[in-house]
Amino acid sequence: MSGNAIVCPEVIRKRNGMPVPFDVKKIRDAIRKANDAARVEAIAPYQFEKLVEAVVEAIPEGKTPDVEQIQDLVEEKLIENGFAKTAKAYILYRAEHTKVRKTEADLVKIYQELTFTSAAEADIKRENANIDADTSMGTMLKYGSEGANYFVDNYILPKDIAAAHINGDIHIHDKDFYMLTETCCQIDLLKLFRDGFSTGHGYIRQPRSIASYASLACIAIQANQNEMHGGQSVPNFDYAMAEGVACTFRKEYYDAVQRYFWLEYDCGEVLGDAFRQALKDAMPERINMSNIDDYEEQFVQWFTECGAGWLAETPEEQKIRRCHKTSIQIAMKETDMATYQAMESLIHNLNTMNSRAGAQVPFSSINYGTCTSPEARMAIRNLLKVTDTGLGNGETAIFPVQIFKVKEGVNYNPGDPNYDLFRLAVKVSAKRLFPNFSFIDAPFNLQYYKEGDYNTEIAYMGCRTRVMGNHYDPGQEVTCGRGNLSFTSVNLPRLGIKAHKDLEVFYRELDRYLELCCRQLLHRFGIQQKKTVKNYPFLMGQGIWMGSDALGIHDEVGEILKNGTLSVGFIGLAETLTALTGKHHGESEESRKLGYEIVSHMRDYMDRKSEETGLNFTLLATPAEGLSGRFVRIDQKRFGKIPGVTDREYYTNSFHVPVYYPIHAFEKIRIEAPFHALTNAGHISYVELDGDTAKNPEAFEAVIRCMKESGIGYGSVNHPVDRDPVCGYTGVIDEVCPRCGRREGEAVSIEKLNELRKKYPDVPVY
Amino acid sequence: MAGKVTAENGQAGANVGFDRIRRITGYLVGTTDRFNNAKRAEEKDRVKHSLS
Repeated sequence: MSGNAIVCPEVIRKRNGMPVPFDVKKIRDAIRKANDAARVEAIAPYQFEKLVEAVVEAIPEGKTPDVEQIQDLVEEKLIENGFAKTAKAYILYRAEHTKVRKTEADLVKIYQELTFTSAAEADIKRENANIDADTSMGTMLKYGSEGANYFVDNYILPKDIAAAHINGDIHIHDKDFYMLTETCCQIDLLKLFRDGFSTGHGYIRQPRSIASYASLACIAIQANQNEMHGGQSVPNFDYAMAEGVACTFRKEYYDAVQRYFWLEYDCGEVLGDAFRQALKDAMPERINMSNIDDYEEQFVQWFTECGAGWLAETPEEQKIRRCHKTSIQIAMKETDMATYQAMESLIHNLNTMNSRAGAQVPFSSINYGTCTSPEARMAIRNLLKVTDTGLGNGETAIFPVQIFKVKEGVNYNPGDPNYDLFRLAVKVSAKRLFPNFSFIDAPFNLQYYKEGDYNTEIAYMGCRTRVMGNHYDPGQEVTCGRGNLSFTSVNLPRLGIKAHKDLEVFYRELDRYLELCCRQLLHRFGIQQKKTVKNYPFLMGQGIWMGSDALGIHDEVGEILKNGTLSVGFIGLAETLTALTGKHHGESEESRKLGYEIVSHMRDYMDRKSEETGLNFTLLATPAEGLSGRFVRIDQKRFGKIPGVTDREYYTNSFHVPVYYPIHAFEKIRIEAPFHALTNAGHISYVELDGDTAKNPEAFEAVIRCMKESGIGYGSVNHPVDRDPVCGYTGVIDEVCPRCGRREGEAVSIEKLNELRKKYPDVPVY
Repeated sequence: MAGKVTAENGQAGANVGFDRIRRITGYLVGTTDRFNNAKRAEEKDRVKHSLS
C-alpha cells in the first residue's frame, strides 16, 4: 500500500453496481501489466508511484467512484505523463475485457426478447420506426441483424474499436452490414432508362410512356434498396420524368392526328402505322411541348405537298391547322391525366411495395424543382397535386421523401420560370410535411453548380446525406452514381463531460476519437473493396454506381468505390457545449462560437484525412434515431444525471438547438446555418410551427426564404399533421376531432357522417 | 396507421384512434407507436418556434 498521505476512497462500485472495498493494488497491477505488454517503455519505480498517486488523487471526493471512471483516469494519467505505448496497451487490455463481458450469452437473451416480446414493450424492436418488427419478416431481419452485430463485434473489429463502440465512445452505424455493402446511392434514372436494364429475370427496354417511367423508377429504387443498407435517392426526378411525359405526349398527339384525318376524310389508311411512320420521317424533329408552333408550319407544308397521297385529296390549309391545334389540345389533356395517374401510382407504390424480405418499404427520396421544360413542369405539378390529395383515404404519404431544389433565377422569385412550382411546393409542404427544401444557392452547394447540368445540382438523400465534392476524382464532383460508403459517430457529449471544462483535454480526446473513427472507416472500407460486381447485380451490374459499367462481373469494386464518401458524424453538440461552458449554443453567444470552433476542428480533421488518403472523408450531422437514446443511456449510468447534459432520454440531434428550448424560428435558422457549411456529408435544420401558422402560406414561405438567405443547405418545417380516419379530417387534432367531434376510440353515427359528407366530400362512405 | 374502419349498428369508429404523423430523423412516420423510447421523449419535448 502507498505510504503517502493520499486519501483513498473506501469503496468502489463494480460494473454490476455492487460496492466493494477500494484496493489500490488493483490499479498498480493493471498499470504494471500494461507496461509489461508495452515492453520498450520502462516506467521507473519512482515514476510508477507518482502515477498511482496521480490516479488516486484525481478520484473526486465524496462520491463512490466506479470501475469505468477509474480506468478513464488511468488512461488519462498515462497519456499525460507521456507513456503513450503503455496507454495503448492499457486501452487494448480494457477493450478485451469489455468484449468478454458483452459476449456472455447476451445474444441468446436478445433472441429471446425478439421472439417473446412485442414491439410495444421492447425498445430493441423499435430502433427504426419505419420497420415493423412485429411481423415475421421484421423479426427475421432483427435475428439476422443482431447475429451479425455479435459476429462483427467479436470476430471482425479490431479490439479497441469494438470496445469503443460497445462502451459508447463511438457508434458504428449499420454495423450489422459491416461485411456486406454500402449505405446509399444517387440513381441517375435517365442513364439507367436509356440503356435499358435487367433486375435479374429479364431485360427491360427503354420505357415509352410516363406510366412506365414512373413504375420503373420505383423498380429501380426497390432493386437498389435490396443491395444497400441505407436509403435510395433520385437526384434528377424532374429531368427523368420529363422524358416520360414527352413520350406520352408524342403518342397522344399522333393518335389524335390520325383520328382527326380519319374522321374528316373517311380514310382508314391514315390509322395505320405506315402513315404514322411517314409523318414522323417527314418532320425534321419530333413533336414536343416546346416546338408546337414551328411544328405546325412544317406540318402544314408536308400535308399540302404530300397529303393527297394519303387522303385521296389535298387537304385545305385551314383543316390541317385545325387538325394540329386540336391534336395538341387533346394530347395536352390526355398527357396531363396520364401524368397525374403515373405520379399517383408512384406514390402509392413507394408506400406499399416491399424490400428486404418484406420488412419495410424502400427508403426513397426524390429531388426536383429545377427542370424548366414544360414536360418536367407537368410532372412536378401533378406530383405535388397527388401529394396534396394524399393516399387512397386522404392519408399523408410517408414516402418518398420529396426535396424541392430551390434556385434563384429558376424558381425562387416572381418571374422565375418555376416560381409557380415553388409556391405550390410551399402550399403542399404546409399541409403534408413534404416536400423539404434544399438550397443550391448556399455557397458550399453553389460552388459545384453548372447551369443546365443536373449532375451538378446539389441533391440530398432522405435522412440528410449529401455527396458532392470528390477528392478522389476532382473531375467528378457530381451527384449521380455516388453515395456514402459508411459512417460512424462520435459521442461528443461524453468528451465534453470528461474534459471537465478543460478545452485542451477536450480537443486532445476529440482528435483521438476522430483518429479511431477514421481508422475504423478504413478498416470497413478494406472489406468493402474486396467485393466484386456479382455481389451487387443491380447497383454495379446495371451500371448505376459510377464507373461500374466498365467492370466485368468478377471484377473487384475497390477502385470505383473511392468515388463514395467515408463519414464521421456527431450528435449532441448542445449537450457538449453545456458540459463545457454551462450553456448551449441557443442561449449563449460564447457557446455558439465554441460550437463553430469544435465543428470546424472536426471538418479540418476530415479534410486533412482526405488529403492524406486521397479518399473522400466527410463530416456528417448525424441523424441518430437509435443512437440518440443509446449514448445517453450509457452516459447516465456512468456520469449520473448532469443537468442539461445527461438528464433527458436523448441527446440532441447533431448541431441542432435543443428541441425543448424556446427560440424564434429565424434565430434558430441563423444559429444553425453556419454548421451546414461545415458538415459536407449532410445536414438538415427543422423549424417547428404550430398548425395555424403552418397553414398560412406567407408565414411558411417566409421561413423557407429565411433558410435560403441564411445559407442553410437543407431544411424543412415540422407541424402537427393528424388525421381522423373515421371522418377523414386532416389537420391538428388535440383531444376532439374538430370535424366530427369524436374523441379517440369513440364512435360517430353514420347519419352524422352522411350529413358531414355534403359539406366535405372526402368523408369516407360506410 | 389505423386499420380499416367499419360501421356497426349505425355507428362507425368505435376503438379507432387518430393517426398522428411526425417527422423523425428526416423520415415521416404514420404513428408514434413505433418510435423508440428516446425519440418519443424527444417528440414530447419539442416546442413550437415563434415567428413574431
